[in-house]
Amino acid sequence: MKNRKHSLTKHAKEIAIRNLFGFFAFLSVLLLGLILVFLFREGLPLFKQISVVDFLFGTAWYPTYDPPEYGIWPLIVGSLAITFFACLIAVPLGLLSAVYIAEIAPAGIKEILKSIIELLAGLPSVVLGFFGMVIVGPWLQETFDLPTGLNIINAAVMLAIMAIPTISSISEDALYAVPREFKEASYALGATKYETIIRVIIPAALSGVSTAVILGMARAIGETMVVLMVAGGAAAIPEGIFDAVRPMTASIAAEMGEAPFRSGHYHALFATGIVLFMITLAFNLIADYISNRFRETGSGTL
Amino acid sequence: MNEEILHPVMNMKWRYFKQRLFFGAVRLSAFVITFALLGILAYILANGFRAITWEFLTQPPTDSMTKGGIMPAIVGTLYLTVGAILVAMPLGVVSAIFLTEYAKQGALIRIIRIGVNCLAGVPSVVFGLFGLGFFVVFLKFGSSILAGALTLGILILPTIIGAAEEAIKAVPQTFREASLALGVSKWNTIFRIVLPSALPGILTGAILGVGRAAGETAPIMFTAAAFFTAVLPKSIFDEVMALPYHIYVLATAGTHIEETRPLQYGTVLVLIALVLGIDLIAIIMRSTLRRNKRW
Amino acid sequence: MEKDFIIRTKNVDFFYGAFRALSDVTVDFEKNKVTALIGPSGCGKSTLLRLLNRMNDLIDGTRVEGEILFEGRNIYAPDVDPVEIRQRIGMVFQKPNPFPKSIFNNITYAPKLAGIRDRGEIEALVEASLKQAVLWDEVKDILTKSAMTLSGGQQQRLCIARALAMKPDVILMDEPTSALDPISTAKIEELIDTLKKHYTIIIVTHNMQQAARISEYTGFFYLGKLIEFNATEKIFTNPDVKQTEDYITGRFG
Repeated sequence: MKNRKHSLTKHAKEIAIRNLFGFFAFLSVLLLGLILVFLFREGLPLFKQISVVDFLFGTAWYPTYDPPEYGIWPLIVGSLAITFFACLIAVPLGLLSAVYIAEIAPAGIKEILKSIIELLAGLPSVVLGFFGMVIVGPWLQETFDLPTGLNIINAAVMLAIMAIPTISSISEDALYAVPREFKEASYALGATKYETIIRVIIPAALSGVSTAVILGMARAIGETMVVLMVAGGAAAIPEGIFDAVRPMTASIAAEMGEAPFRSGHYHALFATGIVLFMITLAFNLIADYISNRFRETGSGTL
Repeated sequence: MNEEILHPVMNMKWRYFKQRLFFGAVRLSAFVITFALLGILAYILANGFRAITWEFLTQPPTDSMTKGGIMPAIVGTLYLTVGAILVAMPLGVVSAIFLTEYAKQGALIRIIRIGVNCLAGVPSVVFGLFGLGFFVVFLKFGSSILAGALTLGILILPTIIGAAEEAIKAVPQTFREASLALGVSKWNTIFRIVLPSALPGILTGAILGVGRAAGETAPIMFTAAAFFTAVLPKSIFDEVMALPYHIYVLATAGTHIEETRPLQYGTVLVLIALVLGIDLIAIIMRSTLRRNKRW
Repeated sequence: MEKDFIIRTKNVDFFYGAFRALSDVTVDFEKNKVTALIGPSGCGKSTLLRLLNRMNDLIDGTRVEGEILFEGRNIYAPDVDPVEIRQRIGMVFQKPNPFPKSIFNNITYAPKLAGIRDRGEIEALVEASLKQAVLWDEVKDILTKSAMTLSGGQQQRLCIARALAMKPDVILMDEPTSALDPISTAKIEELIDTLKKHYTIIIVTHNMQQAARISEYTGFFYLGKLIEFNATEKIFTNPDVKQTEDYITGRFG
């Protein structure tokens, strides 16, 4: 009897530990919810002053004027423009470097390059922002004879440097995960290495590669310091790649310090945060969906 | 011989030409990435090393931050980073244990995984807003080390969870089975067998998290970072200077941007040395770990 | 009648790093016959098979010595392109390994790379290959479906059809039925029997009954050496070497 009781309490203890651990693990989900709650708490009051449509699609961002205008369309366009051009640079570089590491590079170079990409991922964004400001900016300005070197293209280049490690390392994992049997089958049929990579390995890794690209984009759109320092800060809809823009993240970071506590401006910045949060959340959910959906079945019919 | 032969070898040259072209592009991309990292590092090093003196590292800024050192920023970054890891480490390891040892399937796990992935994707400036709304305003911590460390801790939580999970998964199943077969409880098996074996891997992850936390700017802008403090913080409710924010301030605000360039380069160099030094330690640790694996 | 040997190996040694996996293997494979390679696991039979179409090139740190002649030409000569060799010597693996593509695209993969563009020609090739592999009737209505949806036995026949589409001279089979059930195995064995009219087949198997059933010649390997090579009938009734007899009768291995 005694023994049984002992084992019962022991069992109860195990369950208690399990539940406690489960709670802490669930904390990540709670925190995500909490982030949303507090963004809404500080952001929603804005919509007593202005409609959601005017906020999202208004083309004038003059938060400090009287009366103020809180249209973040130029900020959204700024974010998208920079992200687009950053991906134009980062996707090919990231993917090709992943192919190099996973399939082509000799063992020694592979390890070195992986470390280099990891260090690149570790570069603080403020450092890249600084580099873009003092080196790339003046160089662009001189070379292309521009009014300012702080513009879309500068920010895109610096952001690409930040997105490459994400794209490269996730793609690399996906390429590694392609079963050896597929490669052998391809070689045994008389395909060259290039043909095997392009027609068998990359298609088989496509879900992982798409996940990598989406996460890279999410990284770029949410990045703050680089765009704050090198995008130029003009809250207007850009007309070319040498125009200055003010992406959402930059606007929040630059103005929060000056916005009076719980003023319309303050609320508008939190509301911008909501938009940003939703966009990146959507990107992450899509990435999650893709990587799960294809994990079991392979990439199916290609 | 078979009657029909399918393979004229005529197009082999073309096929190999495409391969050479592709391999060229692939190698070029690797080169561009390497060049970008080394270029940035070399440039910062070349311009920053002159600013690095004993005084620069040990004195506070003077003359409205146009002269003097960056000691308070170094100390502040240290406090924030240590605080962040104190928050994230226990939470992250416990989460990882739950995800790997207790529940492997099911809706709960699925939700937690999605939660962790999405948390990892939240933009850093949104963490800053959250820290401001929750820790600074709602919990009334004010702009302080505490608020900043908590914000940074949540930011690096997914990194820590991921690294800890990987380390725990790498512990061979036979270790667990051996322990469980001896009648040892699950909890004791985890605590005495699994965690000690996974510890080096978990620490590597933690170090990478430290590196990440030390370099972040946006999350601490509204939650902890001070433009300038002459004295060091006395409690966790004080504001601090921090290296990344100090760089931003020197490079963008004020009227002496050009004059303080050497200070800026110096501060950038210190931050890079700190962050990449930390990362390098983690990378080296991990590769020696892999090489000396006992199982 | 003079025998026509399509592949001959001469004193072949093969090393994985410092480990010698094959020593001094000399063997001739007759055209349009089935040759079985048998022996205990790790005896080198699969290694030899993978040397014949240079698949071992893909493994780092390996080295070949000696000569392997395919239609009189040493395939390890420096000017020989392994890709061309593999176009003419097909291979079927132990585990069915169709690509995660449609059935149709699995078959057309290699011919398209080899430069066949004409749609009609490609469709005819798909049909012919699948018919040869006795799979056509089962899949003719689902050609656009993923090959991954087929059963293991069907997948393996698809892999055979995929190899046949290149109209190779030789087909190497590396324990092609070891992952299959008895019924699928019987189908593949039947298939091999019909294929040998047009193709030279070299098959590695750990199943001695299979070797006895389907092959004309059998080579017995042990510890990286070719112990005996003879007509299958001879090997299984009255082998020349004692070790072969011991293995066949199940005294070791």
